Amino acid sequence: MKLLARYNRFNIAATVLVLLLGGLCYYFILRYVLIHQLDKDLKVEEQEVKDYVRLNNHLPNAANYKDQEVIFEPASNTAIKRKVFSVNLYDTAEEEQIQGRRLIFGIQSGGKNYTVSVTKSQQETEDLIRLIVILTLGIVLLLLIVLFIINRFVLNKLWLPFSNTLQQLKQFNLSNTTAINTGETNINEFKELNAAVTAMSNSVLKDYSALKSFTENASHEIQTPLAVMKSKLELLMQGENFSETQMRYIQQIQEELSRLSRLNQSLLLLTKIDNQQFKDTEQVNIANTVIKYLDNYEELISAKEITLSKTISGEIIVLMNKTMSEILISNLITNAIKHNTAKGTIAITVDENRLTISNSGTALNSNPDELFERFKKDKVNSESLGLGLSIVKKIAEQYHFKTSYRYQDGLHSVSIQFK
Amino acid sequence: MIIEDERALSESIATYLKGQDYICETAFDFNSAVEKTELYDYDCILLDITLPGGSGMSVLKTLRENNKTDGVLIISAKNSIDDKVEGLVSGADDYLSKPFHLSELSARVAAIIRRKQFGGNSIIQFNNISIDTRAKTALVNSLPLELTKKEYDLLLYFVSNKRRVISKNAIAEHLWGDEMEGNLDFIYTHIKNLRKKLQEAGDADYIKSVYGMGYKFTDS
Repeated sequence: MKLLARYNRFNIAATVLVLLLGGLCYYFILRYVLIHQLDKDLKVEEQEVKDYVRLNNHLPNAANYKDQEVIFEPASNTAIKRKVFSVNLYDTAEEEQIQGRRLIFGIQSGGKNYTVSVTKSQQETEDLIRLIVILTLGIVLLLLIVLFIINRFVLNKLWLPFSNTLQQLKQFNLSNTTAINTGETNINEFKELNAAVTAMSNSVLKDYSALKSFTENASHEIQTPLAVMKSKLELLMQGENFSETQMRYIQQIQEELSRLSRLNQSLLLLTKIDNQQFKDTEQVNIANTVIKYLDNYEELISAKEITLSKTISGEIIVLMNKTMSEILISNLITNAIKHNTAKGTIAITVDENRLTISNSGTALNSNPDELFERFKKDKVNSESLGLGLSIVKKIAEQYHFKTSYRYQDGLHSVSIQFK
Repeated sequence: MIIEDERALSESIATYLKGQDYICETAFDFNSAVEKTELYDYDCILLDITLPGGSGMSVLKTLRENNKTDGVLIISAKNSIDDKVEGLVSGADDYLSKPFHLSELSARVAAIIRRKQFGGNSIIQFNNISIDTRAKTALVNSLPLELTKKEYDLLLYFVSNKRRVISKNAIAEHLWGDEMEGNLDFIYTHIKNLRKKLQEAGDADYIKSVYGMGYKFTDS
């Protein structure tokens, strides 16, 4: 739920509630005040009648006005209790029941007792109250409409700096090394947010580039000692008269040295891809590259007695760096050979926009989602470095290709969607 | 001529190449490199890019500006495409990134020297085997040998590193490009095929397996 929607929900509910409650209170207070006023008028009328009687010693004429009625009735006893109350009247003109206030009091005139009843119509009061209620409802409605408009247009505009910053954060990508550039705003909260986001992105980029250059420098520095060790070992190998044990040791050192050097090369390659050092692009025909590397690894495939099938039904031409395309394809193919079972199968399909390389093999023990991560290998003791697929992924990311992995019916399939 | 500031590596290269009957000189910094390359002509210069006192690239440029035609093989720890391209554009003959196998280096040096011998002969002779590097064919006792491309490359690699133990890794890297991970047994099959073809052509068995370490192409 949007903050705005939730805020609005409370805001509108509270506004409506307050307005309705206010309206209700208003209604009762007003009603009380107006009836009080009516009662006062009745009292004035009473006084007028009493004054008239005292002066003239006879009753005034019973005069009826539009909304006032005075009636004199002879009464038997003198003790008539004075009271004011509401009555239902029938308005003959309007032909409807209306409310009224009536004051009853006793009076002596010419030695006779009378009951005087003064009634005033409450019609005007009711009309007034109705008007007020309608007005209140009108205001509520107007307020809701105004709030809606504000939310719709003004608030969205107010939150624009926030959504801009959010958009920037979403697009933030370590590898393209551009810091977040938040827009200008004069709202303090957003200013603070933008400042924090900018500072964060800058420091993240700085750390990341420091890490990258460290990796690159370390890899470069490792190359030279590796080269020296490798050359010394090769010279050592030229010696005669080694015992079998010594030769085995030499071989083992050599294997580990080669592994270390492969590891270093792969890390260096990953860093280089990160640093976008493969800028030159050209039109690369994926199917041709696949065929080229299948030819290159022909001996490896036949040594493992792997059955190879390839289906090329389309032509994929992509604009990318040639070296990268070669690394991508050769990694996928060597992967399919390396992780294959003896006498297994490799199936390669190329259509208009997708390359799929499947190979037979046992199911993964690890989570397939982590397959493209660095140093993720399925078997702990595997000779594999666990960097091949992460290089594939890195290259794919660089060009916005989609990589996917599937295991079905004993076949591992890695697909690259180029478009 | 070996221009390399890392003395231990320079010494290894010199030792290995001397074993291949090359005469080697060394320079460890920029100034002595420039001095020596200006004074003498070499068949092949091994050139490191990062040198104390200057860049190997300038040594190369100076060399070419003086119209010297020495073969140049760049050996660099950087392994960067830009360096490689710049090097080749500036007139280097080949590029090898560190760490490399000495056997690979030796094969590349041999190839450069071969190419530099103008109008000269593109035939390499080893006893009764002769390899025509221009036509990419091999003859045993003057009879053509039916070899696949990789078998030809392997034979040439062996002959370029004759009487030396070559590791399986070096062979794999030479033939298939990258350093191979894991089991290298497929090389054995490959070598067995080449050996069989050589023997069927009536040649002696020159390929000796050196237990655990690799192979040696030798007539002794």
